Amino acid sequence: MAATDVTSLGEFEHMVLLAIMRLGDEAYAVPVRDEIARCTGRDVSRGSIYITLDRLETKGYLKSRLADPTPERGGRAKRYYELRPRAVDALKESRRALVALWRGLEAALS
Amino acid sequence: MRDQVPLVLRLFARFIPGDLREPIAGDLHEEYLAMRQRRGAVRADGWLWWQSLRLALTFRWERAAHGRPLPPIGDELRGFGSMWDGLRQDIAFGARMLRRQPGFTAVALLALALGIGANTAIFSIVDAVLWRPLPYPSPNDVLSLGEQRPSENRVHGPVAPADFYDWRSDNAAFAAMAAIEPGPANISGAAEPERVRAITVTAEFLAVIGVKPARGRDFTREDEAPGRTLVALLSDGFWRRRFGAAPSAIGQAISVDDEPCTIVGVLPAAFWWTTTPDIVLIYPTQANAAASRAQHSMDVIGRLKPGVSFEQARADMDTIGKRLSAEYPQTNAKHAPHLYPLQQALVGDVKPALLVLLGAVGLVLLIACVNVAMLLLAKAAGRGREIGVRLALGAGRARLVRQLLTESVLLAITGGAAGVLVAAWGLSAFRAIAPASFAALPGIAAVSIDLRVLGVALAVSAVTGLVFGAVPALTASDQKLTSALQEEGRGGSAGARSARVRAALVVAELALSLVLLVGAALLLVSFKRVLDVSPGFESQNIVLAPVDRQSGTNADVVTFYQSLLERVRALPLVDAAAVASPLPFVGVDGRTGFRIEGRTTQSPIPVRARPRLISPGYFATLGIPLLRGRTFTDRDVKGLPDVVIINAAAARRYWPDDNPIGRRIDVTFADPPRWYEIVGIVGDVKHAGLEQDTDPEAYMPHAQAPYSGQARRLTLVVRTRTPLATMAPMLKNAVIEIDRNQPVGAIRTMEDLIAASVAPRRLNLWLVGAFAIVALVLTAAGLYGVMSYLVAQRTREVGVRMALGASPASVLVLMLRQAGAMMVLGIGIGLAGALALTSTLSSLLFGVTSKDPAIYAGVSLLLALVALLAIAVPSSRATRVDPLTALRDS
Repeated sequence: MAATDVTSLGEFEHMVLLAIMRLGDEAYAVPVRDEIARCTGRDVSRGSIYITLDRLETKGYLKSRLADPTPERGGRAKRYYELRPRAVDALKESRRALVALWRGLEAALS
Repeated sequence: MRDQVPLVLRLFARFIPGDLREPIAGDLHEEYLAMRQRRGAVRADGWLWWQSLRLALTFRWERAAHGRPLPPIGDELRGFGSMWDGLRQDIAFGARMLRRQPGFTAVALLALALGIGANTAIFSIVDAVLWRPLPYPSPNDVLSLGEQRPSENRVHGPVAPADFYDWRSDNAAFAAMAAIEPGPANISGAAEPERVRAITVTAEFLAVIGVKPARGRDFTREDEAPGRTLVALLSDGFWRRRFGAAPSAIGQAISVDDEPCTIVGVLPAAFWWTTTPDIVLIYPTQANAAASRAQHSMDVIGRLKPGVSFEQARADMDTIGKRLSAEYPQTNAKHAPHLYPLQQALVGDVKPALLVLLGAVGLVLLIACVNVAMLLLAKAAGRGREIGVRLALGAGRARLVRQLLTESVLLAITGGAAGVLVAAWGLSAFRAIAPASFAALPGIAAVSIDLRVLGVALAVSAVTGLVFGAVPALTASDQKLTSALQEEGRGGSAGARSARVRAALVVAELALSLVLLVGAALLLVSFKRVLDVSPGFESQNIVLAPVDRQSGTNADVVTFYQSLLERVRALPLVDAAAVASPLPFVGVDGRTGFRIEGRTTQSPIPVRARPRLISPGYFATLGIPLLRGRTFTDRDVKGLPDVVIINAAAARRYWPDDNPIGRRIDVTFADPPRWYEIVGIVGDVKHAGLEQDTDPEAYMPHAQAPYSGQARRLTLVVRTRTPLATMAPMLKNAVIEIDRNQPVGAIRTMEDLIAASVAPRRLNLWLVGAFAIVALVLTAAGLYGVMSYLVAQRTREVGVRMALGASPASVLVLMLRQAGAMMVLGIGIGLAGALALTSTLSSLLFGVTSKDPAIYAGVSLLLALVALLAIAVPSSRATRVDPLTALRDS
């Protein structure tokens, strides 16, 4: 089951999970988007970030919690995300698979 | 702090699913505040609107598409939301049904796109030209005034200058009144000489149309006084082009037709007049008032005083007209002023054609509707089981009808969207082929697919969807529950009721097509008849070059044209040449009253002819036959007896019983009279167009011209075997050799002019013809589809019949009999409809009546043949049914 899920991780889902991992305790939608933009140079739409976070939570990769409302957000709460162990497994598996596939190919690209 | 939350955020937050609303709105707010600090409130507000809208939409669609239940949205919008959710389900379901049958969807969309597209395109033209007000303040107060002369069959003719001055000074109904004469003008001074579009107007022209100059001043009454320097207003475009938009252009002296003229102002860029003039000149008061009462040359417009009605203005003008008729019986007997709204005067000629086009596209759309309805009906029959199951599971009929109607409206709106593309394409095609005369129509430049047109396209699409969807939806949802489930899997014909509906649709489609085909055939025959009319001269191999000679004395002008003719006649491959004004098929044409020596002034018919100035050799060049007497020679010049040649129409009208040769007439009304002796009679020429009757005409030698203005504005007429491209530079050269500052107008062939004169009719024929062909194809496709369906439904029955020994021929007859009845009924109703409707075409017909039996018979036959073909192909398939297969399949 886990193996199937790993292979079904889309590229963008992959990026979102990694960004959350990098952000640690500060992972909510706005910094996730900024982190992806900073690392990859891609400007992704807000809609796709929210949709992906929603989908990853449904699939059981993420859990979220609502923080206390703050005035600079018009009195609205933030939703923080963190990885479930499944997500870590999936990322590990995905990295392993990619590294295995890459092995010996570096020369071919240079 | 909550009240600082932007309104848009509070609003759009309601569309975001409940569990995500709070954090997403918070994120947006946070980013909004950051952006406001960085880029300012305006940019931040715009950004917030855009992001909120995008997110709200993305979210609802994304979750719906992935099948997760939508969390409830805000309480305030709950009612709207549940309705929207139901509708959304219907739309999603309908879209799935349409995607599942790509063949059906493509055919239906094509029919709808053509129908709605054609309607949108024609509507945008009709709307811009007929239904938008003229671009003037209170446009309904602006009237066009003409002279009504019942004895000449003229309802709204041009006005004589002296009459205009009396109308202007004596009326009490108009706040302002002005006269206009269009025509080209030669401009020189400052830059190269140039021939431009001009109108000559009296002082209050701008006051009537409610326009003020953008720069400088308007004309005043003092500017009209004879002997004063001419004044002119420039159009914005001409001011920019020739004067580089220099403010110093105002006050500058130029030369117009060799007369000094001062520029006093520039018109606003939005200024519009039908002839799109480059320059507006003042009309100086005429010195010879008597002659100017006989020469009808002015268009007159007036603006009603506030509170004065159209009827009051008409009564006021009638009083003035009666007084003038009594005072000047020789020129004004039986004349009356005639009024109607300026818009009507400008678009009156094209109105019937445009309305006919609108009617024709309406018919095409109806046919497309019927077609799609038949397709839907066939499809609905195939969905009998699905509908039966839904009824069995407790779906209400209203709910089913709503579902089916949503599908058809969805189809129509998708077709409408494609239709708007078709319309955009159609309009650019229309602009490419529209005749030049269309450019003078108000609003034609602004024809475009704007919001108003889009709104109409959307409304037409939605109504279309309801119209073609209603019958199949009601029919399909009316199934008896048990029969729907029982019939499943069997090829038996659907209920008798839906068969009747289908037959009715076929009949309607045939009838509508027939009406359209008859209309197109009537226009086609009319066009053919118009082209068959002889213009009265040989139009091939004739090249025309307008040369407007304004400098020098009258005698100099005569010498100029004579030496020009000598040069042109000496050119290689020139067979004959002459100069004349005006020429057949060329623009404006005046007419003048004249008196006949020895006759009393009280003639029972108005004595009036169209004056033509020509050089010797004109009749030979154009091939106009001399019927009697002689033509002009080089000896018919000033100083020798004045001579005139009349056409056959003038001879018939004014000398019906005796020989006019040797009689004398006077067109000047001078004292003492200037008598012109009639020396010849020539054949009639279709001067104003192939469809027009020929008026009495009087040809005079340009060397003996009674009007110096017309004698300066002559056109070179050349008969040559050389193509236009070669001839044009040679003619220009011949002019330049005499005077290098003399401009030459557009050089064209006579055949081009004749083609341009029938261009509106040709365009109309093409459009109606194209619509009729689309209708025919749609009808054939519809019949084919219905017959294929019927044949498929009866496969089992045919199999049984053939197994029992029926021959293929008898099966074919069986099928054809059913279709034949529909065909006969459809054509019959169509004929009745065509008889009733085509009378609206009568003003567009020529040489044929709207009830021409041969046309009705021919069109019925054509439609019957096409219908038979569309019926025969699927029917013959029935005869090839293998009885064994047919029975086994069931």
